[in-house]
Amino acid sequence: MIEFQNVSKVYSNGTKALRNVSLKVDKGEFVFIVGSSGAGKSTFLKLIMCEERPSEGEIVINDMCLSRLKRRDVPFYRRTMGIVFQDFRLIDNMTVFDNVAFAMHIVGASQREIRKRVPYILGLVNLQDKQSCRPTELSGGEQQRVGLARALVNNPKLIVADEPTGNVDPALSFEIVDLLSEINRRGTTILMVTHEHTLVKHFQKRVVEIHDGEVVADSAAQEVPHEA
Amino acid sequence: MKLRSLRYLGREGIKNIWSNRTMSFASVGVLVSCLLMTGAAVLFSMNINAGMKTIEGNNSVRVYMKQGLPTLSAVKAGEEIKKLDNVASCEFVPKDEAIKQYMNMLGDKDGTMLAGMTGKDNPLPDAYKVSFKDLSQYKKTAEQIKKISGVDTINDYSDIANKLTNLDRIVTTAGSWIILLLSLVSLFIISNTIRVTMFSRRLEISIMKSVGATDWFVRVPFVVEGVIIGVISGALASLILILGYDKLISVVTSITVFTPIPIRSVATTLTLCFIAAGALFGALGGIISIGRYLKNEGGDIVGW
Repeated sequence: MIEFQNVSKVYSNGTKALRNVSLKVDKGEFVFIVGSSGAGKSTFLKLIMCEERPSEGEIVINDMCLSRLKRRDVPFYRRTMGIVFQDFRLIDNMTVFDNVAFAMHIVGASQREIRKRVPYILGLVNLQDKQSCRPTELSGGEQQRVGLARALVNNPKLIVADEPTGNVDPALSFEIVDLLSEINRRGTTILMVTHEHTLVKHFQKRVVEIHDGEVVADSAAQEVPHEA
Repeated sequence: MKLRSLRYLGREGIKNIWSNRTMSFASVGVLVSCLLMTGAAVLFSMNINAGMKTIEGNNSVRVYMKQGLPTLSAVKAGEEIKKLDNVASCEFVPKDEAIKQYMNMLGDKDGTMLAGMTGKDNPLPDAYKVSFKDLSQYKKTAEQIKKISGVDTINDYSDIANKLTNLDRIVTTAGSWIILLLSLVSLFIISNTIRVTMFSRRLEISIMKSVGATDWFVRVPFVVEGVIIGVISGALASLILILGYDKLISVVTSITVFTPIPIRSVATTLTLCFIAAGALFGALGGIISIGRYLKNEGGDIVGW
């Protein structure tokens, strides 16, 4: 599903963001990416989104070799994944329905498909009653669920979540990760960047720790005592 | 791109005009001003050209026949002059008529002063009053006329012809440059206005890009928006210009003898050109500014 082979990234200003990272994530896995600020998590995500290209090494995602991907093919590659942002990135002058439908319009879905699929997805994230609300009328947790619905709506094979609980009440954070776990159970690979240790400990998934541009720890799912 | 995507993007473009109405009003204002300036320059240049044509038309050349040429030969020569491509009109001035004109000029109404110069003793030759279609071709046509048998001389008019032709050229060239310059300024302002709109919507664009929108998907609503703003501006500018020009010519005609070209003769062309120019500026402005934006900062997913 995702394979990093000796990937290094050096920015034009000389910053070495990633050093010789090798990592393999199989289809259907749920992986937490942890690390302090500036550890290289953002670069890691940028490389996955093909917003940056590696300076060295190869990245293969969904059988596509990213270093050989042409610029014009990047949008089509991105459609194979869903992305969830820390700050939700919802469009304020669109309703909840339209915010989710928007992602379907981009891939050229028909009105009929949109009318059928969007309510279904909003039902999955428990927002069926808020379809015609504006994002500003929703709580942080609800807004993130809209973001999740938008990431899910095109049925991606991979969901990349960049600190999805960062702007959500701690109590609701578990709800968001629960949802992601549910999505994962249905077969979607999840990559979630976070620095909330309580979540990582609670959900007992594979944890990859990045520090100073290198993978310093990679654990398979294991029982961790629950602190909360 | 699928047709239904185009329909959706078209609707988005229309919606965006209203959602960003402050920016839309600003764009319309800027475009109307640019079109008005360009239109005023065009009308000014057209009026100068029309004035020049009138002056050129009034300036006729005298072609003198050889002394003692039989009238029949003079008429034949006249026919040949008329056949030349560049001759607009050719009017026969018999020598009796010419001497009468002289007498009038000298105030010799009863003919006492030039009494010995009438009839058979008239020293003036028969002549033709010839006007040219295109004064810049003066030399060539004058040569052709001189070759016609029976023609003696042709009064030298090349100096005035040259001056008028030069003035005509200056007005046309200056007019074209002014129009070109104003068009470029309009395009620059429009593309910058759209760029500002784009910056205000960069979050939206970054979301589009992160979900996998192609550059065209991002571009089409802006182009639709640009074209609609352009068409509205074109219609508005032509309305203002037509009303303003109408008012202005009524003032001009009341104080000068100059007859400006009537607005009715150009109103339809002007409106169509303005709307087409507005749409073109809008579309080009959209394509150029978005192209630059997407190539530079817009390809990124903001904040990562």
